[in-house]
Amino acid sequence: MEEVIILIVSIIAGIATYIVSNILNRGPVIASAIITLASGLMLPYFFPIIGDVLATAAACSSYAGMISVENALNPLEMAVISLLTGILFIAASSAYVGIGGRLGTIAAISCFAWLGFKKVFVGLDK
Amino acid sequence: MKIKKKSIYVFICSFVGVTLTWFINHKMGYGAVIANGLVGVMAATFLPNDLAGITYTSSFVGMSSLSVIPSFAAAFLGSIIVGIIFLITAEIYAGIGGKGGTTAALSTIITKTIINFFS
Repeated sequence: MEEVIILIVSIIAGIATYIVSNILNRGPVIASAIITLASGLMLPYFFPIIGDVLATAAACSSYAGMISVENALNPLEMAVISLLTGILFIAASSAYVGIGGRLGTIAAISCFAWLGFKKVFVGLDK
Repeated sequence: MKIKKKSIYVFICSFVGVTLTWFINHKMGYGAVIANGLVGVMAATFLPNDLAGITYTSSFVGMSSLSVIPSFAAAFLGSIIVGIIFLITAEIYAGIGGKGGTTAALSTIITKTIINFFS
């Protein structure tokens, strides 16, 4: 059940960052920072047991949401990238813990995975 | 050798990003996520876009645990390294989400290696 909540939070955080950054044109830094800050403040309050993990997952997904509109054309693509980020976050939960930039690296791997997928299936790239 | 003005700004932003995040994270005890979010919001509010991006990227280094970046001096060293790596890799993979985090992870690992070497 915890994994499902992590995936849902990841998708919401990723799409929210993408919308603020690319659709509302506020820029990737403020978009990611606001979503990260909001999730860090709210999720531990609403989910006392797993709130910290959810906030970290949301931050991770928000870093993926900093992707440019040329690389993720719409929020649906961002949802897929966010889902990938959530899955990788769960899978890599014990890897390099405490290293600053670990979450961003997970986000980058997700973005590259999606871009690679689009490149293989060329039709999706147009 | 002439030092570009932008390079100085990059190092100042790196220093502020890493040390401020580290301070909010460990000394004030708010945790890595809130520290990163706060520094990011402040950077995006008060700085132009490119410098805000550098500060936010540097902030990821400050999210490290105390076992990785144990002191303010280590955070300072991390800020120099992330500044150098940012200057070298600024053009690579721009527009990919997580590029800053990957830069920060590399910087953190180099910083940790240097600290381990001298301890």
